[in-house]
Amino acid sequence: MDSNEKYKEAIISGDRELAKKLAEEVVKNKEDINKIIEVFSEAIRHVGDLFEEGEFFLPELMRSAEAMKGAMEILTPALIEGGKKERIVNKVIIGTIEGDIHDIGKTLVASMLQAEGFEVFDLGADVPVDTFIEKAIEVDAQLICISALLTTTMVGQKILIEKLKEKGIRDKFKVLIGGAPVTKNWMDEIGADGTAENAISAVKLASKLLS
Amino acid sequence: MKVLDMEAKSILDLINERIVVLDGAMGSTLIAAGLKGGIPPESWNIERSELIKKVHSDYFAAGADVVLTNTFGGTRIKLEALKHGDKVEEYNTAAVEIARDVCPKGGYVAGDIGPTGKFLPPVGKITIDDFYENFLEQAKILADSNVDLFFIETMSDINEAVSAVKAVKKVSNAPIIASITYQKTKRGYFTIMGNTIEDCTMALVFAGADVIGANCTIGSDDMIDIIPLLKKATKLPICAKPNAGIPELRAGETFYPTTPKQFTQDILQMIEKEANVVGGCCGTSPEFIKMIAEAVKGRIT
Repeated sequence: MDSNEKYKEAIISGDRELAKKLAEEVVKNKEDINKIIEVFSEAIRHVGDLFEEGEFFLPELMRSAEAMKGAMEILTPALIEGGKKERIVNKVIIGTIEGDIHDIGKTLVASMLQAEGFEVFDLGADVPVDTFIEKAIEVDAQLICISALLTTTMVGQKILIEKLKEKGIRDKFKVLIGGAPVTKNWMDEIGADGTAENAISAVKLASKLLS
Repeated sequence: MKVLDMEAKSILDLINERIVVLDGAMGSTLIAAGLKGGIPPESWNIERSELIKKVHSDYFAAGADVVLTNTFGGTRIKLEALKHGDKVEEYNTAAVEIARDVCPKGGYVAGDIGPTGKFLPPVGKITIDDFYENFLEQAKILADSNVDLFFIETMSDINEAVSAVKAVKKVSNAPIIASITYQKTKRGYFTIMGNTIEDCTMALVFAGADVIGANCTIGSDDMIDIIPLLKKATKLPICAKPNAGIPELRAGETFYPTTPKQFTQDILQMIEKEANVVGGCCGTSPEFIKMIAEAVKGRIT
């Protein structure tokens, strides 16, 4: 097994402790951190593919995301410390809309975004529209992800976009909408920037929108 | 309240004799009637009890043998999340009374138990004990209110489903239909946690369920494929309760694409493959149930 395979295996098997240990070694040995992050990222994308293929399910996905997060928690500060912060860290506000307590899809997207290197502010479930906006302004986020699993609460996604327009700050943020009843038609109707079939596609879309 | 007919035939005897028809959707019906987000549907057992009663009586009139109480989200965990945690007993008791009030002779009231929405590690933080305590509380209230059977449904985690079955067994001898929600992947049907139909069925049978089922998530067309897989895993009767297709939003309204006619044709195919108990999940209505009841009337299992 070459060393890249070792890093990948830690993520794919969802071994958080191993991933952290490998990350610490990388920092200690002054290896190229950016290169290692890229290897880890490749692994998490592979996990995403396995999920889409029906080989991996929620538990495997969450374990891998946790392993990735564990490694990134060590690598990111080292990167910043070393003054080699070539990657721009994008900030994301994510939550489930007020009146809706479904949070598994949202949590999954949050974990995968974190694993991909985004700085994620997870507001939880049952979150008022104003809270999304206040937090997005406060941390100077680039992306707002708003989830709704009920057809009765989806309207909150529309209200969010309307309020951003009222405040004249619609252009400051990309808005992704998610949830089982969300469709491309709904996205077009309310003027959101995107929606995705699942957490994996959501992360790909977020990266694409912000690149 | 009507006096319970103690001579009534057990639902399990009926299932052994002929195809049994369940009701259709409750949640999507209430949403259509103006239920807003953030409000537990179970609160309408008090606030809009006449409407709930009408939904049940419409299903009985359409030909359903069994209606499910409006208690899908009636567990403490679910109600607490919507800040109605102090109403567990009130909502569940009222739900059974309402259904019992309109239950005709020969009809059955099933105590409905849905998932908590919480997950075990590594996905979430809940424990098996939390699941069990939570279901035990609801099951006891439903049992004390004299439901004829229990309907445990839309479970996406085998452990949560088994906890619910065990909780019911602890407080009641009434029959249990236990139904899992499966999603279609490129490799076949699995729960979102990755359990196969065979694994779930074996666990539910072992826990003591009397009828094994699948419901929600998938439409009636895919549900046809699931029946032989359930049959292969158990000799117990099989229950199928699919959605009326995958919902779409059209002009701001939720739309389920499968028509009652298509749905009924699919249900008949499930019966060909030896499903014993059939009904409708999200997007179905009394119209669906009427067509199904007419098509399967008196059909021997």
